Amino acid sequence: MIDKNIPIKAEDSASLILDLIYQLKIKDVMSRDLVVACAQDTLHHIKTLMKQRNVTGIPIVKKDRLLGILSIDDIFKALDNGYMDELAEKYMSKKLVILEEDMPLAFAISYFDKFKYGRFPVVDKDNLLVGMITSRDINVGLLMAINKEVSRMEEMLAQNAPVDAKNFRKVFRIRKYDFEHAGIASNRIKKLLTERKHDPRDIRRVAVAMYEMEINITVHSEGGTLTVAIDQDRAEIVAKDAAPGIENPELALQEGYSTANEWIKSLGFGAGMGLANIRRVSDEFEFQSSLGKGTTVRAVIYFKNKKGEEHDH
Amino acid sequence: MKGDTLIKELDCEILYRRKEGGTKDLRSFIASDLMSDVLLVDNEIDILITSLSTAQAIRTADIVSAIGVVIVNGKPVSADMKAAAKEFDITLLRTKLSTFQTCGIIHRLKEHAA
Repeated sequence: MIDKNIPIKAEDSASLILDLIYQLKIKDVMSRDLVVACAQDTLHHIKTLMKQRNVTGIPIVKKDRLLGILSIDDIFKALDNGYMDELAEKYMSKKLVILEEDMPLAFAISYFDKFKYGRFPVVDKDNLLVGMITSRDINVGLLMAINKEVSRMEEMLAQNAPVDAKNFRKVFRIRKYDFEHAGIASNRIKKLLTERKHDPRDIRRVAVAMYEMEINITVHSEGGTLTVAIDQDRAEIVAKDAAPGIENPELALQEGYSTANEWIKSLGFGAGMGLANIRRVSDEFEFQSSLGKGTTVRAVIYFKNKKGEEHDH
Repeated sequence: MKGDTLIKELDCEILYRRKEGGTKDLRSFIASDLMSDVLLVDNEIDILITSLSTAQAIRTADIVSAIGVVIVNGKPVSADMKAAAKEFDITLLRTKLSTFQTCGIIHRLKEHAA
């Protein structure tokens, strides 16, 4: 389900678009080539600037700090009322709606719907103006990202071996902080194994390992994939993410070690048991991580118990 | 103990009842707000007692094949969580009691049954 503030219907939009608007940050699509003016510039000067640079709104700044915005509507008013020689500071809008560069693109889309402005100034952590975003920037940014994603997915498709009745292989994409869906891939695999009448103890081990990996990608990475391969003898799950990687892999394997913040803990995760739990239920376990390069976790679980066998708990 | 006993003794509100609700003899319970701790348990789990009132608690319950989740402290339950309970066919109950009180009552019931 998607945030109701975003004017995109989850049910009839490609999930790729929904993925992208959360993955992309405003800084990935905004224009950095800024046309700015000073508070002491005249409206006449700003009109000329708008015409030359073909923009309809100009941020008024003082050393990168945003003071206001002058839009083409302000210029029209000035032309009508004959005060084109007056200074920008008197007529610029000071009630500004500002976006931050690290916000997800979804945020900007919801702002365009909510505020009906043609553009929003974008600031960095220090509140300095770093860009402007228009709906055109969003369209261009999304199209480029879709192109990239489609080629990546085509590549992934080629890697996916054909599925027959005995062998199952699937790649799940997991998004950062998407708690709404975190765990669903594991629930699906558990259902599949249950339908195939595997032993409940084996199912549990596969489900626990995969679930922990899924939560780990959601909580700690910038998003990644879970590749599940199941044949008659075993299940192999590979979790792969591109960033940010783990600074101290040895420490991360220790029970109770956690880098999760309070917010993640309030959602029931981040107790520092994830990797230890995966290792505990797996027959083969590999873990590689380096800062900046991302993390790969591979777990293999052998189906030790016969299918559909009766046993005591 | 049967589900109805649990519902009555904990004075639970039934938010979703699984299709075969009330049939199973409930024997094992786990109380935790940390889902990783739930996944850590090796033996069978029938009921998860938690104050985590999100869909994540239901998904965790599904992973460990629990058949019911009891939300304590009368915490508000999101529509997502109810939808997940229905999807995975896991009974979702809510009690105003705390985790401590809930566990105390269940312990007494188990002692009584034994």
